[in-house]
Amino acid sequence: MNKNDLKVISFLAYKNISKSKATFFVIVAVMAMSFLSITFFAAIIDGLGYEFEEGMIRGLTGHLMIEPSADSRYLENADSMVGKIKKIPEVVGVSKRVEASAVATHKTIQLGVPIFFVNPDDERQVSRFSESVVLGDYLSRKDNAELIIGTDLVEAYTREDDAKKSLDVTVGDTIQLSFSNGMVKEYKIKGIFKTGSQFSDNNILINYDDYEDIFHESDVASAILVALPSRGREEEFTRKIIDLGVTDQINPWQSKMGKVKQFIGSLQITNTITGVVGLFTAFATIYIIIFINVTNKRKQIGILKAVGIKKEIILGSYVLQSLIYGVAGVVIGIIAMQGLIALLTVYPLSMPIGNVVPILTTNRLVTTAITLILASIVQGSSPRKKRRTTIS
Amino acid sequence: MNKVIISAKKVERIYSNGIVRTYALKDVSVDIQQGEFVAIMGPSGSGKSTLLHQLGLLDNPTNGSILIDGEDVVQLSDDTRTRFRLEKLGYVFQSYNLIPELTALENVYITPMARGMPEEEYTAKAKEMLTKVGLGDRMDHYPSELSGGQQQRVSIARALVNKPKILFADEPTANLDSDSSADTIRLFRQLNKEIGQTIVMVTHEENEGKQADRIIWIKDGIIDKAKK
Repeated sequence: MNKNDLKVISFLAYKNISKSKATFFVIVAVMAMSFLSITFFAAIIDGLGYEFEEGMIRGLTGHLMIEPSADSRYLENADSMVGKIKKIPEVVGVSKRVEASAVATHKTIQLGVPIFFVNPDDERQVSRFSESVVLGDYLSRKDNAELIIGTDLVEAYTREDDAKKSLDVTVGDTIQLSFSNGMVKEYKIKGIFKTGSQFSDNNILINYDDYEDIFHESDVASAILVALPSRGREEEFTRKIIDLGVTDQINPWQSKMGKVKQFIGSLQITNTITGVVGLFTAFATIYIIIFINVTNKRKQIGILKAVGIKKEIILGSYVLQSLIYGVAGVVIGIIAMQGLIALLTVYPLSMPIGNVVPILTTNRLVTTAITLILASIVQGSSPRKKRRTTIS
Repeated sequence: MNKVIISAKKVERIYSNGIVRTYALKDVSVDIQQGEFVAIMGPSGSGKSTLLHQLGLLDNPTNGSILIDGEDVVQLSDDTRTRFRLEKLGYVFQSYNLIPELTALENVYITPMARGMPEEEYTAKAKEMLTKVGLGDRMDHYPSELSGGQQQRVSIARALVNKPKILFADEPTANLDSDSSADTIRLFRQLNKEIGQTIVMVTHEENEGKQADRIIWIKDGIIDKAKK
């Protein structure tokens, strides 16, 4: 094939597309919708998985979770460790926590509740509790005998069919907490929070200073949570923390996922399967559309062959047309998808686990785009089978 | 005497459908001289168009030989036959067979464009041919915007733009009214007389056949020697 052949190919392809604008728009629309149908659902599933993980990271683990070694109950000199880690450039936040449990009593209802004793100010940088208060206020360093409680523990926010016990309380009410060391203290509910994560909303948060009053221990922590600028940098910052002389366990969030990891793994497998099925469906749809388009042009193909146009030129013009359909469809699909994502970023999908924003990974975008474009090129070369058509 | 430009010897075209073999052409031999205007005539289904397709390299004979301008065209590869058609032959079909997405001008210059002619040259040649066939003012119209007669004239211009050695016309007036038909045949006669264009035309209209230098009669796939 020479330069002149390419010129004729481009000319025929351009004329076919520009004269049949309706066909062009229909085929491109089908391509774009095929792209959207494959990527949108997958992006929601990816977003769902991401939100599950975020619920853990922003509620329980941080990006890094420093925990005591096997022979220790607590991290010692927690404040000093927090201070040192805060000084590492790009660290977003560091917060110490002491985890405890208590029996909460209100009127006649008693239930066991997990409690985080936290520094409210540090906690703002690491978790989403502070931004998830739905009623009342978040904690402050000055609070004494006040707490914030997750919606999973509050009757007004639980579902009717939920068998778990909950407290019929609201902001301003008082509940009694009985701790493991026998201490009993009354707390006023300062705020109710709902992060959307089942791993967080069944907790109570209390100012760290109260832990010192109740258990007479200070400067200790069950864990120190570290928030990083983004995921994927856990190893980098682990090395920096080790360089500070920290000898305790530094666990990345991935190692703390537990059963969530299995669930997300299952989601991803499902996503892959539906993605493959979606690609096959799109392939078949594109095949039919372009096959019909080419079949309708059989006479044109025969005429061109009869008057002496090379089969490579005829085939090339159809492949080029199909390539244009494929690329245009994918580009419009990407633009539409980005628009949807932008819209859903502002107005996220409200799901039981939280607000879900679709995530279109680069891998999925590129794989889908290439597959659809290849499908259209393959179908565009179907006139090869018709080259023996003669004018009758 | 002019040289023989088409020489077909014992040409057969057999269509097989499993066990059944249909002889569309049987033992057909014909010579056509350069500059001759030949009409091929016969009843429906006699094999007129089949013969034209063999001579015009639009189909391959099952048996026999065909020499065009001294070249054995039966042995040519598909690609070489395509090139041969592009450079040496021209076609006018019953149903015009213009490309609907191309204007009249583009339909005419597509073949010289494919031959690698520079743009200015092929555009000028196409305009010249369209003017010659009386369509100088309709060059930018699409086939859907032209009458049947006008479309056929575009088809003739397309066939002639490359100055083919032979012009093949398969019932060129079948879809035209009587005035357009007469104009078409008159144009063929004019081309034959003025530039010595070799024309092989299939028709079932006797008055059109009489416009040719010679009529080849076909019946049931063989030359009807009785009507020479």
